[in-house]
Order: sequence, then C-alpha cells, then structure tokens
Amino acid sequence: MANQNGNMYGLTILSPIIDDPKSKVSHDSALRLYLQNMPRHAYSPFTKVSGTHFCRLVVMDDVVFVGSPAAEEHLKSKYLVFNSNLYGGLDAYLAEMARKIPDVVDDIWSHCVGYPGVADPSAFAAYMKKCQIETTFFFADVNDKTVEQTLRALQMKVEFTAFIERNQGASPAGLLREFAAFWERVRELPLPPAGVKDLAKSHAAIA
Amino acid sequence: MVKLNFHDIQGFVARGYNFPHASFLLAEILDRQAGREFVRHTAGRVTSAERWQQGKPPSTLNIGFTWHGLRKLGLPDATLLSFPDEFYQGMRARNRILGDIGRNDPANWEPVWKENVHVWLAVYAQTPDELATRCGETIGLMRETAGARLLYTQPAAAIKIGGQPTSKEHFGYTDGFGNPDYEGVERDTIPGQGKLTADGKWAPLATGEFILGYPDEARELPACPVPYLLGINGTYMAYRKLHQNVARFRVYLDEKGKQYAGGKEKLAAKFVGRWQDGTPLELSPDRADPALVRNQSRNTNFTYGQDQDGARCPLGSHIRRANPRDAFGFNGDLVNRRRIMRRGMPYGDYTPEDQLASDQDEHGIVFMALGASLFRQFEFVQQQWISYGNDARLGSDKDLLVGCHSGGGDKFVVQGAADAGNAPFICGGLPDFVEMRGGDYFFLPSLTALRLIADGAVDPR
Repeated sequence: MANQNGNMYGLTILSPIIDDPKSKVSHDSALRLYLQNMPRHAYSPFTKVSGTHFCRLVVMDDVVFVGSPAAEEHLKSKYLVFNSNLYGGLDAYLAEMARKIPDVVDDIWSHCVGYPGVADPSAFAAYMKKCQIETTFFFADVNDKTVEQTLRALQMKVEFTAFIERNQGASPAGLLREFAAFWERVRELPLPPAGVKDLAKSHAAIA
Repeated sequence: MVKLNFHDIQGFVARGYNFPHASFLLAEILDRQAGREFVRHTAGRVTSAERWQQGKPPSTLNIGFTWHGLRKLGLPDATLLSFPDEFYQGMRARNRILGDIGRNDPANWEPVWKENVHVWLAVYAQTPDELATRCGETIGLMRETAGARLLYTQPAAAIKIGGQPTSKEHFGYTDGFGNPDYEGVERDTIPGQGKLTADGKWAPLATGEFILGYPDEARELPACPVPYLLGINGTYMAYRKLHQNVARFRVYLDEKGKQYAGGKEKLAAKFVGRWQDGTPLELSPDRADPALVRNQSRNTNFTYGQDQDGARCPLGSHIRRANPRDAFGFNGDLVNRRRIMRRGMPYGDYTPEDQLASDQDEHGIVFMALGASLFRQFEFVQQQWISYGNDARLGSDKDLLVGCHSGGGDKFVVQGAADAGNAPFICGGLPDFVEMRGGDYFFLPSLTALRLIADGAVDPR
C-alpha cells in the first residue's frame, strides 16, 4: 500500500481537463486563473478539511525536457493534479471535502471531464477514485499524527519551553505547584488555527 | 594540484592580513572615463597575494565593486547580465532572505547605503600614521582623476588591551579562529579547517569554493561572469557593519549567568561554542585552556559527531551554526559547499569588563565573508543556519548573538546533561545583541581584471 504510511495517506489524483474549442476561455486557462488566485496557507479553503496536512493543485500540460537533446512528451489531455498528504482514510477525506468546501470543489473540478459534482457525495467519491493513481512515495514528516495533534504538539512545545524557562531552578514543591497551574491553563487553550499566518502574509507581499 | 597565480589575486582575497589598523572607504564612481582612470591608478597600487619577501609592508590596498559600480564603469551589458542575481540585486534587496528585518531593515541602515556605493576600498596598516597616509593617497587619487567621490570612511582597529592589539571582539570573545583551507594556498593544512575525509582526517577544500575560475567541490567551475578572464582569480564578498550592544549583552549575561548552574563564564562559552579566550567547548567543556588556544594543530581540530545531543557544545551555539562540521551526518559532506572565508575587524572603542558600557557608542564589527557564490555560501549560512534552526533540530530558533530577535520571545537552549554543573538551561527573551547598520555585495576582481576594466577592454564575445 504505497499510498499509505501508517495513518498518513498520500493522495494523487489526475483529472483530465475538458478540451472544448468552443468555450470562450479554455478550461485549463480558467482553472489556472482560479487556482492562482485561491487563498493559500492559513487562508486556504483546504484548512477546513481537517485531515489535510499539505495539499497542492497543479495544472499539468505537456511534459518538456529542457536540455540536450530536448524532448517533449505529449499527454492525452491536460490534467489537474491534486496531491494531498492527509491523515486517515480516503473515504472519510473525500466525504469531508464534499461536506466542508463543496463550492470550492465544484469550482475546481467542474473544469474536468466527467465530473459529477459534489451534490451526490458517493458519485463524487467514485469519480475521484477513478482518477486516482498510486502515489508510490511521499513526504511524511508529521509522525503519523492528526492535524489537530500536530497543532497541539507545536502549541505545547512553545508553552512548555516557556514554562521551563520561567521555572528552571525552582524547588520541587514550587515546580509541582506551578506545573499544576500550567497544566490547568494549557489544557483549556483553544486549538491554534491550521496554516501559517506569516507565510500567508509573505505570499501576499510577493503577489 | 591547483597552482594559483598570487601575482594576480588580490592579497585580501588570499589571506587575512592581521594588521592592527584599517579603513574601509566607500565611494561613488562619478564618470565612466574618469572612473576608469581612477581604477587604472588604483590597480597599480593594489596589494596582490604575492609572498612578502621583506616582511609585512607598512600598509595594503584592495578594491571591490558593486554591480552598479561595474555598470557605471561601462562594462558591456552582456557581461553585466552574466553576474549572479544576488550580486545584481545587492544586499538591501535580499533583506528578507538574510533576516534583515524589523530594526535591521535596510530602511534603518546608515544613510550611506541609500547613496551610490560603487566601490569598496580596504586599507590596512601597521600604524595609524601609515593608515592615514595610504587613505590620503587613495582619496587623493579620487580627486586627481575626478573619477570617484568618497562617500564614507569606516575606521576599524584591533581591540587593544593593556596597550597590545588582540583578536578580541567587543563582547569579549577571542575571534578569528581558522578559515577554510583550500587547495593552492601556500601553507600546511591545519586540522579542522578544510573538509573531513572518510578516514576522519582533514583535507583542503577545492579552490573553486573561494576563487573563481577553478573547479569547486562539485568538480565544476563556479558560475563566472563572461569573459572568463574577468572572473578568474576574483571572488565575491558580503560586507556587513554590525553594531554590538555591549551593555545589553553584559547585563543579559550577568542576569542569566546567576541563574545558570555552570556560572556566567560557562554560559558565555555555551553561547558561542568557545570560552571567551577561544578554547573550544567541544575539546574542553569545563574550563578554558590557554595552552589549547595557542596550539594551532588543536584549536580548530574537533568534530561534533560524538556530541549529537549538544551536551558539550550546544546545537545552537554560534560556531556550531556557522560551521556545523559533521553535525548533520554524512561525514560532513553537507557543509563543504557552505563554507565562508571571514575577514572581520572590530571598530570603535572597547569598554573594559569593569567599566560601564553604552549601547549608543559607535562600536561593533565589520564582518566580511568571501566566497565563489554569495547565494550558495554566505546567504545560505545566514538564512538557514544563523536565522533558522531546523537543520540543527532547533525549530525556528536563531543564533543568539547575531540573529535578529526583533519582537522578543526568541530563546537559546543549552542542552546540557544530567550532571549538576552542566544542567540544561533555557535563555529566553533574547534582545538584539547585534544590529545591522548596512552593507552590500562586492566583486573583488583579479589584477588582470582590474586592468581590463580600467582600459574598457572587457569583451564578453
């Protein structure tokens, strides 16, 4: 099962993009325009799909080797490539995509051949699975944890480091007392939002 | 074996002069023809890397240009477009990569960096008088040729303690241990200064890591401007004026030193990876050892392979960040293309330890790093290892001393071990100990290239 490593799932979906010479703006152009204006990082709609650690959408054209000798490979179609490093099973993930961001999913995949829409979640899941290819190898750097566990762990690392810094050298009794208060406080902390805000800002600055 | 032409390489590129006095002159080229005249006359006075048969000269002179300086001197477009992006853009435009943000943002640099800094001239001398004479001659040449205008003079000098010049910097650390050994340099390989070999010995790095025109560690010629003759025997330099907040450093060290089980001096050593006298922590974790400092075959001869947890030398200490040696595994192969040649020099008055220091006084270090690729070497070290900690498993932690901590909240971790005198410790709330006051990227051509530039004979075809 190369698509899976523990509870991590490396999803790769290639959906053929509609080739319609009669359309005013070609589907691949419209899709590129949509994707390049889609909010990213902390503002990405995919932060609402809770299993997503990382995901990426790419319009794939013909494949060109810029070297010597130059080579071109012609594909049957242009493709939308969807990569997602997600936690858990594929069925639950596709169901959550359909439930949480139906408009975004429709906006994107409606440019693809045979897309049935998310209104019927089982038809949507069947379509996505039909377009799926085996991933074979993927980046799995999150220690088999859910997004929520990862966000909590990062939050706890920061809080606990600060706790140590404040209390290093304290007496055992004092340390125990402080730790109890610390634990009461941090267990109630709200879950930090997914995605990195600063990165989102710096992306906006580049754009 | 590479044989270098020391008549053609600038002396500053080949070696640190180790003179007690220096001035760095920043100038603008005023006119193409007159500017070339200035370069012609200067080229005749530039100190090459030739061996000094009669001992050290009273003074030296070296020169470098920004991209805009080379354009002003009328280099052909085909040549100008062949320089690397980062050199064309200059240090100001690279500020996000370098972490020069917040207080260190280019908007806050000294005003000279908003002017047309085209030329950098380095004068080193044995005495203040000889320094003044050589600077006077050089500035005189600017006037006589009407080719250049002096914008700024940056004085620098070795810190004197007890009347004797030392290799101390303002925070009190002995600085300047070791530079990378590379093939072609006329000296014996010093253990610890080149690259690690598979059998744990040290060998010189490839010449092309530091001087253009020769094969580098990838066995390729480094990217070189066209024509090749313009690049060979030249190199690039990152120049940074770094103000040191001496009072802030001393107060912080005093405060944290009281809380740290190992005491203030050991904490200071943990910050840097060397005791303040220069003893490497890796070799002597519990005390400074002057005999070890004096021993050239030992004072840079260490690795981190047996100290993966940073118990002796913290993972984030300054020297371990700047040159991680074998710390990232692969027998040190990951660092061989990330080395820099340093030419630092303090500026401003030194405040002895027992006197009250001020952060407002003009004192700091002129940091200069040389290498064949600013992007691959200096910028990488600055961005990934100084301003970030992921490679060292330190998350977003930055270098305690030179990292930009604007906003506070940064920390430095002493990993330590189970024994009481080496307990783990976290230094939080790091202030900015060092502030960036300005700098740029310079190309330091060979003497041949200087004469080509002066004659308008650079031909990219």
